[in-house]
Amino acid sequence: MTANIATNRDPAPSGNRWGLPDLGLGVGLRTQHFRHITEKRPAMDWFEILSENFIDTEGRPLDYLDRIAEHYPIAMHGVSLSVGSTDPVDFAFLDKLKALAKRVNARWLGDHICWTGVAGLNGHDLYPVPYTEEGLEHMVERVRIIQDYLERPLVLENPSTYLEFAGASMPEEEFIARLAEDADCALLLDVNNVYVTCRNHDLDPVEYLGKIPADRVVQIHLAGHTDNGTHCIDTHDGRVIDAVWDLYARFTARAGPRATLLEWDANVPKFSVLQQEVAKAARFRGAQPRRRAAA
Amino acid sequence: MSTTPDLATLERWMQAVVMHDGGVQAGLKSPRARALVAEAARDLERVVLPSRQLSAAERLGIYSHMYYARLIEVMEGEYPTTRRILGEDAFARLCRRFVAKNPSRSRTLNTLSLKFPDFLARTLPKTRRAGLAVDVARIERAMEDVFDAPRATPMTAAQFAAVGAGPSGRAVLRVTPALRLLALRYPANEYMNALRRGENPRIPAPRKTWVIVFRRGFQVYRRDQEPAQWKLLAALAAGKPLAAAVRGALRGVAGRAGRNAAERAAKRLGAWFEEWSAAQLFVVPEGRG
Repeated sequence: MTANIATNRDPAPSGNRWGLPDLGLGVGLRTQHFRHITEKRPAMDWFEILSENFIDTEGRPLDYLDRIAEHYPIAMHGVSLSVGSTDPVDFAFLDKLKALAKRVNARWLGDHICWTGVAGLNGHDLYPVPYTEEGLEHMVERVRIIQDYLERPLVLENPSTYLEFAGASMPEEEFIARLAEDADCALLLDVNNVYVTCRNHDLDPVEYLGKIPADRVVQIHLAGHTDNGTHCIDTHDGRVIDAVWDLYARFTARAGPRATLLEWDANVPKFSVLQQEVAKAARFRGAQPRRRAAA
Repeated sequence: MSTTPDLATLERWMQAVVMHDGGVQAGLKSPRARALVAEAARDLERVVLPSRQLSAAERLGIYSHMYYARLIEVMEGEYPTTRRILGEDAFARLCRRFVAKNPSRSRTLNTLSLKFPDFLARTLPKTRRAGLAVDVARIERAMEDVFDAPRATPMTAAQFAAVGAGPSGRAVLRVTPALRLLALRYPANEYMNALRRGENPRIPAPRKTWVIVFRRGFQVYRRDQEPAQWKLLAALAAGKPLAAAVRGALRGVAGRAGRNAAERAAKRLGAWFEEWSAAQLFVVPEGRG
Protein backbone atom coordinates (compact mmCIF):
# COMPACT_ATOMS: atom_id res chain seq x y z
CA MET A 1 0.00 0.00 0.00
CA THR A 2 1.06 3.61 -0.38
CA ALA A 3 0.71 5.75 2.68
CA ASN A 4 -0.05 9.45 2.47
CA ILE A 5 2.92 10.01 4.65
CA ALA A 6 6.52 10.63 3.85
CA THR A 7 9.62 10.63 5.98
CA ASN A 8 9.90 14.21 7.09
CA ARG A 9 13.32 15.74 6.47
CA ASP A 10 12.32 19.36 6.66
CA PRO A 11 9.57 19.94 9.20
CA ALA A 12 7.39 22.95 8.56
CA PRO A 13 7.16 25.74 11.12
CA SER A 14 4.11 25.52 13.30
CA GLY A 15 1.80 28.16 14.69
CA ASN A 16 2.86 27.73 18.27
CA ARG A 17 4.68 30.35 20.30
CA TRP A 18 7.90 28.39 20.59
CA GLY A 19 8.25 27.83 16.87
CA LEU A 20 8.39 24.09 17.47
CA PRO A 21 8.01 22.39 14.09
CA ASP A 22 4.94 20.80 12.63
CA LEU A 23 6.43 17.32 12.30
CA GLY A 24 3.56 16.11 10.14
CA LEU A 25 1.76 12.81 10.77
CA GLY A 26 3.24 10.25 13.11
CA VAL A 27 2.43 7.20 15.18
CA GLY A 28 3.44 5.92 18.59
CA LEU A 29 6.50 3.68 18.34
CA ARG A 30 5.59 0.20 19.55
CA THR A 31 7.75 -2.91 19.98
CA GLN A 32 5.68 -4.90 17.48
CA HIS A 33 6.94 -2.64 14.70
CA PHE A 34 10.61 -2.24 15.66
CA ARG A 35 11.90 -4.73 13.14
CA HIS A 36 9.64 -3.56 10.32
CA ILE A 37 10.69 0.06 10.81
CA THR A 38 14.42 -0.63 11.03
CA GLU A 39 14.45 -3.04 8.11
CA LYS A 40 11.94 -1.45 5.72
CA ARG A 41 12.15 2.16 6.84
CA PRO A 42 8.49 2.76 5.97
CA ALA A 43 7.01 6.14 5.16
CA MET A 44 6.18 7.99 8.37
CA ASP A 45 6.86 11.61 9.27
CA TRP A 46 7.85 11.01 12.88
CA PHE A 47 7.48 8.79 15.92
CA GLU A 48 6.53 9.39 19.51
CA ILE A 49 8.06 7.20 22.20
CA LEU A 50 6.81 6.36 25.65
CA SER A 51 9.78 7.71 27.58
CA GLU A 52 9.65 5.22 30.46
CA ASN A 53 10.01 2.27 28.08
CA PHE A 54 13.56 3.37 27.31
CA ILE A 55 14.71 4.38 30.79
CA ASP A 56 16.57 2.07 33.18
CA THR A 57 17.23 -0.36 30.36
CA GLU A 58 20.09 -0.99 27.97
CA GLY A 59 18.48 -3.88 26.15
CA ARG A 60 17.22 -4.39 22.64
CA PRO A 61 14.47 -1.70 22.62
CA LEU A 62 17.06 1.01 23.17
CA ASP A 63 19.15 -0.37 20.34
CA TYR A 64 16.13 -0.25 18.02
CA LEU A 65 15.34 3.27 19.17
CA ASP A 66 18.89 4.44 18.45
CA ARG A 67 18.60 3.12 14.91
CA ILE A 68 15.13 4.53 14.35
CA ALA A 69 16.15 7.95 15.68
CA GLU A 70 18.84 8.11 13.01
CA HIS A 71 16.15 8.27 10.33
CA TYR A 72 13.01 9.74 11.90
CA PRO A 73 12.28 12.68 14.22
CA ILE A 74 11.37 11.52 17.72
CA ALA A 75 9.22 13.19 20.37
CA MET A 76 9.17 11.95 23.95
CA HIS A 77 5.94 11.47 25.81
CA GLY A 78 5.85 10.10 29.33
CA VAL A 79 3.42 8.75 31.88
CA SER A 80 5.34 8.98 35.17
CA LEU A 81 6.41 12.58 35.57
CA SER A 82 3.50 13.04 37.96
CA VAL A 83 3.44 16.79 37.57
CA GLY A 84 0.40 17.15 39.82
CA SER A 85 1.77 15.04 42.67
CA THR A 86 2.46 16.58 46.06
CA ASP A 87 5.60 14.44 46.40
CA PRO A 88 8.94 16.21 45.85
CA VAL A 89 10.08 16.59 42.23
CA ASP A 90 12.19 13.58 41.25
CA PHE A 91 15.30 15.19 39.81
CA ALA A 92 17.03 11.86 39.27
CA PHE A 93 14.18 10.93 36.93
CA LEU A 94 14.48 14.29 35.17
CA ASP A 95 18.18 13.55 34.63
CA LYS A 96 17.22 10.29 32.92
CA LEU A 97 14.66 12.06 30.73
CA LYS A 98 17.23 14.66 29.82
CA ALA A 99 19.79 12.03 28.89
CA LEU A 100 17.31 10.13 26.74
CA ALA A 101 16.18 13.35 25.03
CA LYS A 102 19.78 14.11 24.15
CA ARG A 103 20.41 10.58 22.96
CA VAL A 104 17.50 10.55 20.49
CA ASN A 105 17.54 14.27 19.72
CA ALA A 106 13.96 14.54 20.95
CA ARG A 107 12.09 17.37 19.28
CA TRP A 108 10.15 17.88 22.50
CA LEU A 109 9.35 16.17 25.73
CA GLY A 110 6.07 15.90 27.53
CA ASP A 111 3.72 14.12 29.87
CA HIS A 112 0.20 14.55 31.24
CA ILE A 113 -1.75 17.01 33.37
CA CYS A 114 -2.21 14.54 36.17
CA TRP A 115 -0.54 12.85 39.10
CA THR A 116 0.42 9.18 39.11
CA GLY A 117 1.22 8.55 42.76
CA VAL A 118 2.08 10.04 46.10
CA ALA A 119 3.98 9.03 49.24
CA GLY A 120 6.64 7.45 47.05
CA LEU A 121 4.26 5.11 45.23
CA ASN A 122 3.41 4.97 41.54
CA GLY A 123 0.00 3.75 40.40
CA HIS A 124 1.14 3.82 36.75
CA ASP A 125 -2.13 5.53 35.88
CA LEU A 126 -3.12 9.10 35.12
CA TYR A 127 -5.06 10.35 38.14
CA PRO A 128 -7.09 13.54 37.82
CA VAL A 129 -5.98 16.74 39.50
CA PRO A 130 -8.66 18.66 41.40
CA TYR A 131 -9.41 21.74 39.35
CA THR A 132 -9.03 24.18 42.23
CA GLU A 133 -6.95 27.31 42.76
CA GLU A 134 -4.70 25.29 45.09
CA GLY A 135 -4.29 22.54 42.48
CA LEU A 136 -3.49 25.09 39.80
CA GLU A 137 -0.95 26.98 41.89
CA HIS A 138 0.77 23.73 42.82
CA MET A 139 0.99 22.52 39.23
CA VAL A 140 2.17 25.86 37.89
CA GLU A 141 5.05 25.87 40.35
CA ARG A 142 5.97 22.26 39.56
CA VAL A 143 5.88 22.80 35.80
CA ARG A 144 8.11 25.84 36.13
CA ILE A 145 10.64 23.90 38.22
CA ILE A 146 10.65 20.98 35.79
CA GLN A 147 10.94 23.19 32.73
CA ASP A 148 13.81 25.14 34.28
CA TYR A 149 15.62 21.90 35.00
CA LEU A 150 14.95 20.36 31.61
CA GLU A 151 15.76 23.64 29.88
CA ARG A 152 12.89 23.28 27.46
CA PRO A 153 9.12 23.74 27.52
CA LEU A 154 7.11 20.81 28.78
CA VAL A 155 4.40 19.63 26.41
CA LEU A 156 1.52 18.62 28.66
CA GLU A 157 -1.48 16.57 27.60
CA ASN A 158 -5.08 16.69 28.78
CA PRO A 159 -5.78 13.18 30.11
CA SER A 160 -9.00 11.21 29.84
CA THR A 161 -10.73 11.55 33.19
CA TYR A 162 -13.34 9.33 34.76
CA LEU A 163 -14.34 11.35 37.82
CA GLU A 164 -14.82 14.94 38.94
CA PHE A 165 -14.01 16.27 42.39
CA ALA A 166 -16.88 17.98 44.17
CA GLY A 167 -14.61 20.80 45.30
CA ALA A 168 -13.56 21.82 41.77
CA SER A 169 -13.85 25.55 41.21
CA MET A 170 -13.27 25.65 37.47
CA PRO A 171 -13.85 23.42 34.43
CA GLU A 172 -10.98 21.31 33.11
CA GLU A 173 -10.44 23.39 29.99
CA GLU A 174 -10.10 26.57 32.03
CA PHE A 175 -7.62 24.83 34.35
CA ILE A 176 -5.56 23.75 31.35
CA ALA A 177 -5.62 27.18 29.72
CA ARG A 178 -4.58 28.90 32.93
CA LEU A 179 -1.90 26.31 33.65
CA ALA A 180 -0.41 26.80 30.19
CA GLU A 181 -0.46 30.56 30.57
CA ASP A 182 0.81 30.82 34.14
CA ALA A 183 3.50 28.14 33.81
CA ASP A 184 4.30 29.12 30.23
CA CYS A 185 4.20 25.52 29.06
CA ALA A 186 3.14 23.93 25.78
CA LEU A 187 0.13 21.70 25.30
CA LEU A 188 -0.47 18.38 23.67
CA LEU A 189 -4.14 18.36 22.77
CA ASP A 190 -5.49 14.82 22.85
CA VAL A 191 -8.70 15.15 20.88
CA ASN A 192 -9.82 11.65 21.79
CA ASN A 193 -9.33 12.47 25.47
CA VAL A 194 -11.46 15.59 25.02
CA TYR A 195 -14.21 13.38 23.60
CA VAL A 196 -13.87 10.73 26.33
CA THR A 197 -13.74 13.25 29.17
CA CYS A 198 -16.71 15.19 27.84
CA ARG A 199 -18.74 12.01 27.41
CA ASN A 200 -17.89 10.96 30.97
CA HIS A 201 -18.77 14.33 32.46
CA ASP A 202 -21.69 15.36 30.21
CA LEU A 203 -19.76 18.27 28.74
CA ASP A 204 -19.78 19.81 25.27
CA PRO A 205 -16.49 18.91 23.54
CA VAL A 206 -16.80 21.74 21.01
CA GLU A 207 -17.09 24.27 23.79
CA TYR A 208 -14.13 22.59 25.55
CA LEU A 209 -11.96 22.84 22.44
CA GLY A 210 -12.87 26.47 22.00
CA LYS A 211 -11.23 27.30 25.34
CA ILE A 212 -7.90 25.66 24.50
CA PRO A 213 -5.29 28.32 23.60
CA ALA A 214 -4.27 27.29 20.09
CA ASP A 215 -0.92 29.06 20.14
CA ARG A 216 0.24 26.80 22.98
CA VAL A 217 -0.68 23.57 21.23
CA VAL A 218 2.42 21.92 19.79
CA GLN A 219 1.03 18.49 19.11
CA ILE A 220 -2.27 16.64 18.74
CA HIS A 221 -3.09 13.06 19.71
CA LEU A 222 -5.67 10.88 18.01
CA ALA A 223 -6.75 7.45 19.24
CA GLY A 224 -9.58 4.99 19.54
CA HIS A 225 -11.46 4.34 22.76
CA THR A 226 -13.97 1.91 24.25
CA ASP A 227 -17.54 3.08 24.72
CA ASN A 228 -19.10 1.15 27.60
CA GLY A 229 -22.42 2.94 27.29
CA THR A 230 -22.30 4.41 30.78
CA HIS A 231 -18.82 5.79 30.23
CA CYS A 232 -15.90 5.74 27.80
CA ILE A 233 -12.40 4.42 28.49
CA ASP A 234 -9.31 5.64 26.67
CA THR A 235 -8.09 2.24 25.51
CA HIS A 236 -6.11 3.11 22.34
CA ASP A 237 -7.24 -0.17 20.84
CA GLY A 238 -8.88 0.75 17.58
CA ARG A 239 -9.60 3.28 14.90
CA VAL A 240 -10.46 6.91 15.53
CA ILE A 241 -14.22 7.43 15.54
CA ASP A 242 -15.91 10.01 13.30
CA ALA A 243 -16.84 12.30 16.20
CA VAL A 244 -13.16 12.57 17.14
CA TRP A 245 -12.17 13.27 13.54
CA ASP A 246 -14.78 16.01 13.55
CA LEU A 247 -13.25 17.58 16.67
CA TYR A 248 -9.82 17.33 15.09
CA ALA A 249 -11.07 19.08 11.96
CA ARG A 250 -12.66 21.84 14.03
CA PHE A 251 -9.52 22.49 16.05
CA THR A 252 -7.15 22.50 13.11
CA ALA A 253 -9.51 24.75 11.17
CA ARG A 254 -9.07 27.28 13.96
CA ALA A 255 -5.44 26.64 14.85
CA GLY A 256 -3.91 25.44 11.62
CA PRO A 257 -2.02 22.20 11.19
CA ARG A 258 -0.12 20.72 14.12
CA ALA A 259 2.16 17.74 14.52
CA THR A 260 -0.39 14.94 14.75
CA LEU A 261 0.09 11.52 16.23
CA LEU A 262 -2.00 8.36 16.26
CA GLU A 263 -1.82 6.22 19.41
CA TRP A 264 -2.65 2.53 19.10
CA ASP A 265 -1.47 0.51 22.09
CA ALA A 266 -3.72 -2.53 22.45
CA ASN A 267 -4.60 -5.05 19.74
CA VAL A 268 -1.80 -3.39 17.81
CA PRO A 269 -2.29 -3.98 14.07
CA LYS A 270 0.20 -4.22 11.23
CA PHE A 271 2.17 -1.05 10.57
CA SER A 272 0.35 -0.49 7.28
CA VAL A 273 -2.95 -0.17 9.17
CA LEU A 274 -1.44 2.59 11.30
CA GLN A 275 -0.18 4.31 8.18
CA GLN A 276 -3.65 4.21 6.65
CA GLU A 277 -5.35 5.43 9.81
CA VAL A 278 -3.06 8.37 10.52
CA ALA A 279 -3.06 9.35 6.86
CA LYS A 280 -6.75 10.20 7.24
CA ALA A 281 -5.65 13.19 9.31
CA ALA A 282 -4.23 14.81 6.18
CA ARG A 283 -7.80 15.34 4.97
CA PHE A 284 -8.64 17.39 8.03
CA ARG A 285 -5.58 19.28 9.11
CA GLY A 286 -5.65 22.06 6.58
CA ALA A 287 -2.36 21.31 4.91
CA GLN A 288 -1.52 19.12 1.99
CA PRO A 289 0.28 15.96 3.06
CA ARG A 290 3.92 15.94 2.13
CA ARG A 291 4.85 13.15 -0.23
CA ARG A 292 8.57 13.07 -0.27
CA ALA A 293 10.07 9.64 -0.63
CA ALA A 294 11.63 7.93 2.32
CA ALA A 295 15.42 8.19 2.42
CA MET B 1 -22.18 20.66 50.05
CA SER B 2 -18.70 19.64 48.98
CA THR B 3 -15.70 18.77 51.09
CA THR B 4 -12.41 20.05 49.80
CA PRO B 5 -9.45 18.48 51.54
CA ASP B 6 -6.10 20.06 50.80
CA LEU B 7 -4.36 18.72 47.71
CA ALA B 8 -1.89 16.46 49.51
CA THR B 9 -4.63 14.90 51.61
CA LEU B 10 -6.93 14.42 48.64
CA GLU B 11 -4.21 12.64 46.65
CA ARG B 12 -3.31 10.37 49.55
CA TRP B 13 -6.97 9.57 50.11
CA MET B 14 -7.65 8.73 46.46
CA GLN B 15 -4.54 6.58 46.29
CA ALA B 16 -5.54 4.70 49.45
CA VAL B 17 -8.96 3.99 47.94
CA VAL B 18 -7.98 2.97 44.40
CA MET B 19 -4.98 0.87 45.50
CA HIS B 20 -6.97 -1.01 48.17
CA ASP B 21 -7.02 -4.68 47.19
CA GLY B 22 -10.54 -5.15 48.54
CA GLY B 23 -12.01 -2.74 45.98
CA VAL B 24 -13.43 0.76 46.32
CA GLN B 25 -16.02 0.11 49.02
CA ALA B 26 -13.46 -1.58 51.25
CA GLY B 27 -10.98 1.15 50.39
CA LEU B 28 -13.41 3.89 51.42
CA LYS B 29 -13.99 2.19 54.76
CA SER B 30 -10.30 1.46 55.36
CA PRO B 31 -8.70 3.11 58.40
CA ARG B 32 -6.17 4.80 56.13
CA ALA B 33 -8.80 6.46 53.91
CA ARG B 34 -11.02 7.37 56.86
CA ALA B 35 -8.12 8.99 58.66
CA LEU B 36 -7.48 11.16 55.63
CA VAL B 37 -11.01 12.16 54.57
CA ALA B 38 -13.50 10.88 57.11
CA GLU B 39 -16.53 12.44 55.37
CA ALA B 40 -15.96 10.37 52.22
CA ALA B 41 -16.87 7.15 54.02
CA ARG B 42 -20.19 8.66 55.12
CA ASP B 43 -21.05 10.67 52.02
CA LEU B 44 -18.70 10.11 49.09
CA GLU B 45 -20.52 12.64 46.91
CA ARG B 46 -19.11 15.41 49.08
CA VAL B 47 -15.72 14.54 47.59
CA VAL B 48 -16.41 12.90 44.22
CA LEU B 49 -19.36 13.81 42.04
CA PRO B 50 -21.57 11.18 40.42
CA SER B 51 -22.28 11.41 36.70
CA ARG B 52 -25.67 10.94 35.11
CA GLN B 53 -24.82 7.27 34.56
CA LEU B 54 -22.40 6.33 37.34
CA SER B 55 -22.29 6.77 41.09
CA ALA B 56 -19.28 8.41 42.68
CA ALA B 57 -18.06 4.98 43.89
CA GLU B 58 -18.41 3.52 40.40
CA ARG B 59 -16.33 6.35 38.99
CA LEU B 60 -13.59 5.72 41.55
CA GLY B 61 -13.97 2.03 40.74
CA ILE B 62 -12.77 2.67 37.18
CA TYR B 63 -9.38 3.74 38.55
CA SER B 64 -9.30 0.91 41.06
CA HIS B 65 -10.03 -1.66 38.38
CA MET B 66 -7.47 -0.20 35.98
CA TYR B 67 -4.76 -0.11 38.65
CA TYR B 68 -4.84 -3.85 39.23
CA ALA B 69 -5.72 -4.82 35.66
CA ARG B 70 -2.76 -2.94 34.21
CA LEU B 71 -0.19 -4.27 36.67
CA ILE B 72 -1.48 -7.84 36.48
CA GLU B 73 -1.25 -7.62 32.68
CA VAL B 74 2.39 -6.53 33.00
CA MET B 75 3.15 -9.51 35.22
CA GLU B 76 1.33 -11.92 32.90
CA GLY B 77 3.73 -10.79 30.21
CA GLU B 78 6.73 -11.35 32.46
CA TYR B 79 5.77 -14.76 33.86
CA PRO B 80 4.05 -16.75 31.09
CA THR B 81 5.28 -20.18 32.25
CA THR B 82 4.68 -19.52 35.94
CA ARG B 83 1.15 -18.53 34.97
CA ARG B 84 0.70 -21.69 32.97
CA ILE B 85 1.80 -23.83 35.90
CA LEU B 86 -0.39 -22.08 38.46
CA GLY B 87 -3.43 -21.50 36.23
CA GLU B 88 -4.67 -18.14 34.94
CA ASP B 89 -7.11 -17.33 37.75
CA ALA B 90 -4.81 -18.36 40.58
CA PHE B 91 -1.95 -16.44 38.99
CA ALA B 92 -4.08 -13.27 38.70
CA ARG B 93 -5.15 -13.56 42.35
CA LEU B 94 -1.53 -13.96 43.43
CA CYS B 95 -0.46 -10.96 41.35
CA ARG B 96 -3.18 -8.87 42.93
CA ARG B 97 -2.08 -9.84 46.44
CA PHE B 98 1.53 -9.21 45.49
CA VAL B 99 0.83 -5.76 44.05
CA ALA B 100 -1.26 -4.84 47.10
CA LYS B 101 1.67 -5.71 49.37
CA ASN B 102 4.39 -4.43 47.06
CA PRO B 103 3.11 -1.33 45.25
CA SER B 104 5.39 0.14 42.63
CA ARG B 105 7.89 2.72 43.81
CA SER B 106 9.51 3.15 40.42
CA ARG B 107 8.87 5.48 37.49
CA THR B 108 9.15 2.48 35.19
CA LEU B 109 7.58 -0.96 35.35
CA ASN B 110 10.90 -2.82 34.99
CA THR B 111 11.23 -3.63 38.68
CA LEU B 112 7.57 -4.00 39.63
CA SER B 113 7.80 -7.75 40.15
CA LEU B 114 11.36 -7.95 41.47
CA LYS B 115 10.21 -9.65 44.68
CA PHE B 116 7.52 -11.82 43.10
CA PRO B 117 9.45 -15.13 43.16
CA ASP B 118 10.20 -14.68 46.87
CA PHE B 119 6.56 -13.75 47.45
CA LEU B 120 5.48 -16.98 45.74
CA ALA B 121 7.96 -18.98 47.83
CA ARG B 122 6.46 -17.54 51.02
CA THR B 123 2.84 -17.69 49.93
CA LEU B 124 2.30 -20.91 48.00
CA PRO B 125 1.70 -24.27 49.71
CA LYS B 126 4.62 -26.69 49.83
CA THR B 127 3.53 -28.79 46.87
CA ARG B 128 5.53 -30.04 43.93
CA ARG B 129 3.62 -27.80 41.51
CA ALA B 130 4.18 -24.75 43.68
CA GLY B 131 7.87 -25.55 44.09
CA LEU B 132 8.31 -25.77 40.35
CA ALA B 133 6.36 -22.52 39.88
CA VAL B 134 8.67 -20.70 42.28
CA ASP B 135 11.77 -21.85 40.42
CA VAL B 136 10.30 -21.06 37.01
CA ALA B 137 9.39 -17.62 38.35
CA ARG B 138 13.01 -17.15 39.42
CA ILE B 139 14.15 -17.93 35.88
CA GLU B 140 11.53 -15.66 34.30
CA ARG B 141 12.44 -12.81 36.64
CA ALA B 142 16.13 -13.29 35.82
CA MET B 143 15.25 -13.10 32.12
CA GLU B 144 13.62 -9.71 32.74
CA ASP B 145 16.65 -8.52 34.69
CA VAL B 146 19.22 -9.44 32.06
CA PHE B 147 17.00 -8.08 29.27
CA ASP B 148 17.39 -4.61 30.81
CA ALA B 149 20.92 -5.02 32.20
CA PRO B 150 23.70 -2.59 31.30
CA ARG B 151 25.75 -3.25 28.19
CA ALA B 152 29.38 -4.32 28.35
CA THR B 153 32.03 -5.07 25.75
CA PRO B 154 32.81 -8.81 25.44
CA MET B 155 36.45 -9.82 25.70
CA THR B 156 38.09 -10.78 22.45
CA ALA B 157 39.86 -14.14 22.14
CA ALA B 158 43.20 -12.32 22.35
CA GLN B 159 42.18 -10.48 25.52
CA PHE B 160 40.97 -13.74 27.01
CA ALA B 161 44.20 -15.53 26.16
CA ALA B 162 46.21 -12.69 27.67
CA VAL B 163 44.46 -13.22 31.02
CA GLY B 164 45.40 -16.88 31.02
CA ALA B 165 48.99 -16.07 30.16
CA GLY B 166 49.26 -13.52 32.92
CA PRO B 167 52.17 -13.56 35.38
CA SER B 168 50.29 -14.57 38.51
CA GLY B 169 47.22 -16.37 39.63
CA ARG B 170 45.72 -13.07 40.67
CA ALA B 171 44.03 -12.26 37.37
CA VAL B 172 40.37 -11.38 37.78
CA LEU B 173 37.86 -11.91 35.01
CA ARG B 174 35.07 -9.37 34.82
CA VAL B 175 31.69 -11.02 34.30
CA THR B 176 28.94 -9.35 32.30
CA PRO B 177 26.28 -7.49 34.30
CA ALA B 178 23.76 -9.32 32.13
CA LEU B 179 24.24 -12.64 33.96
CA ARG B 180 22.19 -14.19 36.74
CA LEU B 181 23.13 -17.42 38.55
CA LEU B 182 20.28 -19.47 39.99
CA ALA B 183 20.52 -22.46 42.33
CA LEU B 184 17.13 -24.14 42.09
CA ARG B 185 15.27 -26.95 43.83
CA TYR B 186 13.55 -28.22 40.68
CA PRO B 187 14.63 -28.91 37.08
CA ALA B 188 12.81 -25.74 36.05
CA ASN B 189 14.93 -24.95 33.01
CA GLU B 190 14.45 -28.48 31.62
CA TYR B 191 10.71 -28.06 32.15
CA MET B 192 10.69 -24.76 30.26
CA ASN B 193 12.71 -26.31 27.44
CA ALA B 194 10.22 -29.15 27.15
CA LEU B 195 7.37 -26.68 26.88
CA ARG B 196 9.25 -24.79 24.23
CA ARG B 197 9.62 -28.01 22.24
CA GLY B 198 5.83 -28.29 22.30
CA GLU B 199 5.76 -31.14 24.80
CA ASN B 200 3.34 -31.41 27.71
CA PRO B 201 5.74 -32.27 30.53
CA ARG B 202 4.61 -33.58 33.91
CA ILE B 203 5.39 -31.64 37.04
CA PRO B 204 8.84 -33.04 37.88
CA ALA B 205 10.08 -34.31 41.22
CA PRO B 206 12.40 -31.99 43.15
CA ARG B 207 16.01 -32.14 42.00
CA LYS B 208 18.68 -29.51 42.56
CA THR B 209 19.64 -27.73 39.35
CA TRP B 210 22.11 -24.98 38.53
CA VAL B 211 21.04 -22.45 35.93
CA ILE B 212 22.52 -19.35 34.36
CA VAL B 213 20.49 -16.69 32.58
CA PHE B 214 22.39 -14.24 30.41
CA ARG B 215 22.15 -11.83 27.51
CA ARG B 216 24.44 -12.21 24.53
CA GLY B 217 24.11 -9.17 22.32
CA PHE B 218 20.42 -8.42 22.81
CA GLN B 219 19.23 -12.02 23.00
CA VAL B 220 18.40 -13.61 26.37
CA TYR B 221 19.45 -17.23 27.02
CA ARG B 222 19.13 -19.73 29.88
CA ARG B 223 21.35 -22.75 30.37
CA ASP B 224 21.73 -25.61 32.85
CA GLN B 225 25.21 -25.94 34.31
CA GLU B 226 27.09 -28.66 36.14
CA PRO B 227 27.22 -27.85 39.87
CA ALA B 228 30.99 -27.31 39.93
CA GLN B 229 30.80 -25.29 36.72
CA TRP B 230 28.10 -23.06 38.21
CA LYS B 231 30.05 -22.59 41.45
CA LEU B 232 33.20 -21.62 39.58
CA LEU B 233 31.28 -19.05 37.55
CA ALA B 234 29.63 -17.74 40.71
CA ALA B 235 33.06 -17.29 42.29
CA LEU B 236 34.31 -15.41 39.23
CA ALA B 237 31.18 -13.25 39.22
CA ALA B 238 31.84 -12.44 42.87
CA GLY B 239 35.25 -11.09 41.85
CA LYS B 240 37.44 -13.95 43.06
CA PRO B 241 40.82 -14.24 41.30
CA LEU B 242 40.82 -16.84 38.57
CA ALA B 243 43.28 -19.27 40.18
CA ALA B 244 41.60 -19.13 43.57
CA ALA B 245 38.17 -19.60 42.01
CA VAL B 246 39.32 -22.68 40.07
CA ARG B 247 41.07 -24.13 43.13
CA GLY B 248 37.99 -23.55 45.26
CA ALA B 249 35.63 -25.13 42.75
CA LEU B 250 37.80 -28.26 42.34
CA ARG B 251 38.35 -28.55 46.08
CA GLY B 252 34.58 -28.41 46.51
CA VAL B 253 34.11 -31.26 44.03
CA ALA B 254 36.80 -33.31 45.78
CA GLY B 255 35.13 -32.75 49.12
CA ARG B 256 31.73 -33.79 47.88
CA ALA B 257 32.54 -36.50 45.35
CA GLY B 258 36.16 -37.46 45.83
CA ARG B 259 39.46 -36.86 44.08
CA ASN B 260 38.55 -38.74 40.92
CA ALA B 261 35.52 -36.54 40.41
CA ALA B 262 37.69 -33.48 40.92
CA GLU B 263 40.14 -34.75 38.30
CA ARG B 264 37.30 -35.30 35.85
CA ALA B 265 36.04 -31.78 36.56
CA ALA B 266 39.53 -30.38 36.00
CA LYS B 267 39.53 -31.95 32.53
CA ARG B 268 36.31 -30.12 31.72
CA LEU B 269 37.59 -26.70 32.76
CA GLY B 270 38.63 -25.85 29.22
CA ALA B 271 35.21 -26.74 27.85
CA TRP B 272 33.48 -24.65 30.52
CA PHE B 273 35.55 -21.58 29.72
CA GLU B 274 34.97 -22.15 26.02
CA GLU B 275 31.23 -22.26 26.60
CA TRP B 276 31.27 -19.11 28.73
CA SER B 277 33.51 -17.32 26.29
CA ALA B 278 31.18 -18.18 23.41
CA ALA B 279 28.32 -16.86 25.52
CA GLN B 280 30.29 -13.60 25.95
CA LEU B 281 30.08 -13.81 29.73
CA PHE B 282 33.49 -12.21 30.20
CA VAL B 283 33.72 -8.55 29.43
CA VAL B 284 36.31 -5.83 29.20
CA PRO B 285 36.64 -3.79 32.38
CA GLU B 286 35.06 -0.36 32.00
CA GLY B 287 37.38 2.18 30.48
CA ARG B 288 39.48 -0.42 28.70
CA GLY B 289 37.13 -1.19 25.81
